[in-house]
Amino acid sequence: MKRPSVLTDLIQELKRLPGIGQKTAERLSFFIMRGEKLRAEKLSAAITNVKEKIVLCSQCHGITERNPCDICSDERRDRSLICVVEEPHDVYVLENVGEFKGVYHVLMGVISPLDGIGPGELTLDGLKARVEAGGVKEIIIATNPDLEGDATAIYIAKLLKANGVKLSRIARGVPVGGDIEYADTVTLQKALEGRTDMG
Amino acid sequence: MPLFRTRALVLRVHYLSDTDKLVTFYTERYGKIKAVAKGARRIKSKFGASLEPLTLISLIYFGKEHQSLYRVNQCDIVEFHQTVRDSLATCFYALYFIDLLDSLTAEGQTDPNLFMFVTSTLESLTPEQNPELLCRIYELRILALLGYKPRLEQCVKCGQFPRSHWVGFSYNSQGIYCAPCLDGNPVETRINLGTLQYLKKLLTLDLNRWSRLKIPKGSEEELEQFTHRLILARLGRELKSYPLLKQIIHNY
Ligand SMILES: [Zn+2]
Ligand SMILES: [Zn+2]
Repeated sequence: MKRPSVLTDLIQELKRLPGIGQKTAERLSFFIMRGEKLRAEKLSAAITNVKEKIVLCSQCHGITERNPCDICSDERRDRSLICVVEEPHDVYVLENVGEFKGVYHVLMGVISPLDGIGPGELTLDGLKARVEAGGVKEIIIATNPDLEGDATAIYIAKLLKANGVKLSRIARGVPVGGDIEYADTVTLQKALEGRTDMG
Repeated sequence: MPLFRTRALVLRVHYLSDTDKLVTFYTERYGKIKAVAKGARRIKSKFGASLEPLTLISLIYFGKEHQSLYRVNQCDIVEFHQTVRDSLATCFYALYFIDLLDSLTAEGQTDPNLFMFVTSTLESLTPEQNPELLCRIYELRILALLGYKPRLEQCVKCGQFPRSHWVGFSYNSQGIYCAPCLDGNPVETRINLGTLQYLKKLLTLDLNRWSRLKIPKGSEEELEQFTHRLILARLGRELKSYPLLKQIIHNY
């Protein structure tokens, strides 16, 4: 017997998601089909809402339901301090730590010559405009500690050099719980460069 | 399962899952290979900084020979090329070099000379010296090493040494035409005899001495257009890293 086409459609759509293969897509589809109608409706509404209600914040380019986002419109946040991140989800990762009291700027990617992504593809004009508008004292660059993240950090430093704003990069090096004995030379070098004063 | 040990240059890194990376290497002993690095995305991964593009490592990997995906077992950094990374221009040149190597080679074709050439080119890349000339040498020599050396000595039609002030060049037949032989042949460009001499020099120049070579601006531009079209003719497409390299060096 042939599988109902509506079920095949669902399997096909689920298979497009990252990390989901044929078997998993089939299992999820049968689960949805056999589950309560209300659950399926909630799932479908949640997916539609994500596409319809989420917009990009016009100031930081983070994802939000209202523009400007909660962080950018919060009076208690320090606007003189901008933390630059690669992707919208990085904002949530840093917010979960709860330490940072400044605002963010999401680049929407990272400079990656091998993938054809140059500075023009990122939200760097927006960042420059925010700095030029005045009031910004420090930029913390929180791009990933890899080749693309480093290249992007160097580019930002050059871009904003003339504006007299303080630039810093989040520390790189030995991870907490890691072992110096097993760290490679480059990681140790970065850890030494990023050492902090103990008074 | 056999273990393979070799020096290797990291060309490209793709995320395979939340924890694993798929890495393309150009190895000294086995040519280009792809291997999965399990757990390499974890913050406490034993691979650390060794699997970043441009890094020269000492690599141990395993898997069945002629199987397309191997598994990375161990890697130790031999040269990270920190100074190349520290300047945007040299970093973009180096990535273009790697992009070119990746695009021109197929997996499993061993070529230790090519490996030597690429690693020594990266060694020679410094912000103090104009990398543009090194880029020309790299483009010409990588093609030559792969067997696509343009024929610049004699006219491909009559076999004579050209006597005029310029020669014709056909990207299709990858060789020069002397002036009398131009008629009826699909010649796409003209090269000045002076530039032709520089081309020959760049093909044979010792890599330790390239920075002493001085080329007049006009010839430099002609050389750039020539090598770029030579590469386009070979690849049939523009590499993504090339226009970005141009953009970066013109803006700085
Ligand atoms: Zn915002
Ligand atoms: Zn001839």
